[in-house]
Amino acid sequence: MSKEPILGLAALILFIGLMILFTITRKRWPVALRSIKGFEALGIAIERAVEAGKRVHLSLGSGSVIGSDSAAAFAGLSVLRRVASATILSDKPAIVTTGDGAMTMLAQDTLRTSYQQARVADRYRPVMARMLGPTPFSYVANMPDVLANNDVAVHILNGSFGSEGALAAAFGESEGLFVLGGADDVRSQAILYATAGHPLIGEEVFAGGAYLNAGPMHRASLQAQDIVRILVVAFILIGTLLRTLGVGQ
Amino acid sequence: MKIWGYILWATVAVSTGILVLLGYFVDNPAIHNVRLLILQWATILAAVALFLGLANLWSVHWKKVSDQEKGWPYSAVLMLFFIVTLAIGLVFGPDCPIVANLFNYIQLPVEASLMALLMVALVVAGFRMATQRRDVVSMMFVGTAIIVLLGYSPWVIGGNGFVPETMGYLRVWLTQVWSAAGARGILIGVALGSITTGLRILLAVDRPYGD
Repeated sequence: MSKEPILGLAALILFIGLMILFTITRKRWPVALRSIKGFEALGIAIERAVEAGKRVHLSLGSGSVIGSDSAAAFAGLSVLRRVASATILSDKPAIVTTGDGAMTMLAQDTLRTSYQQARVADRYRPVMARMLGPTPFSYVANMPDVLANNDVAVHILNGSFGSEGALAAAFGESEGLFVLGGADDVRSQAILYATAGHPLIGEEVFAGGAYLNAGPMHRASLQAQDIVRILVVAFILIGTLLRTLGVGQ
Repeated sequence: MKIWGYILWATVAVSTGILVLLGYFVDNPAIHNVRLLILQWATILAAVALFLGLANLWSVHWKKVSDQEKGWPYSAVLMLFFIVTLAIGLVFGPDCPIVANLFNYIQLPVEASLMALLMVALVVAGFRMATQRRDVVSMMFVGTAIIVLLGYSPWVIGGNGFVPETMGYLRVWLTQVWSAAGARGILIGVALGSITTGLRILLAVDRPYGD
């Protein structure tokens, strides 16, 4: 057996162990999350939208369920659960849009569960989760209509976007909405930084659940990420030092 | 009763996830074959889900037209072309020239024009950033973008002298050292975030399939 699978398995076990450890010890060693301005402002923006009778729109992007681009959209579903809970009793409940059929079904299931838990299942409508278009640009081409005709005040982009993400954010900005934009792709993050009023950088796109209090495991997973990141940085520095000294050449 | 349904779905999701994950790490033909089989099922289910997504798209626009909501004529046009394209595809097959022409002469130009609109959106966003978001990072972002853009201009690439050469050197230094290093740092963060998101689903903490 080669080294890579063993190392990969060890890394996964380390991750799971750290996540469980930090979940168990959360009361003994409480942790303060660093400030992410976008998520801090999001809570206030949602409250204002609910009070003003406006709607929150969450875009999960055009990523599919199968594939490496699904993780950001799954993180977006965690945000959806919290956003749905916060807006469930509003006159204008949250809507979510996707560019993939399977992701639409998952978004519908997430919304349905939130409505059932709030004991208002009769208020749930399947069209609250919509597939706008099966290709990235057909998806984003439908977005101005959603933003303009649904009294949207908060426009959250939390999913897998390519360059079309910049247009999605720009449409929101041109309507004067609160725009929070995060994607898993490096180039998309760069253009979202320019176009979205509240951009999310790097792994911040995966941190929504922790910042919106989706559960202790979300906070624990952020702590686990930080520990592993420190290990990765240490390995990179040690490797650089050893190479500089001529070891292993 | 409901709790058993929840346990059943969570068990199916977790065990399927573990089997697929093990297929990547354990060199066993049986596990490898099970992983491939599950991935094939997932692909088929995703294709079926596309049809359900299109049905969802249809129902949203149907409601808009039947309720005469604002912008309903656009929805009516979408539904008309939805039916026409679907009918042509079903009758003549996806390889017929009519379907190819619909794609090449309608969808492609529309998507290309959106791509052009993206350039305008970025210029406007850059201007807005320079005028409204006056923090150090935003100024660095705009300044770097201007230097890199100037560094790719014909004046710099084809020019001689101190200023063009310095600009060319700056462009290479920014894109190949700072930008590449930053992108790698972001990629490490995204990879770690993806892993923990996947593990939360694998541990049934996040249940996107509902409770």
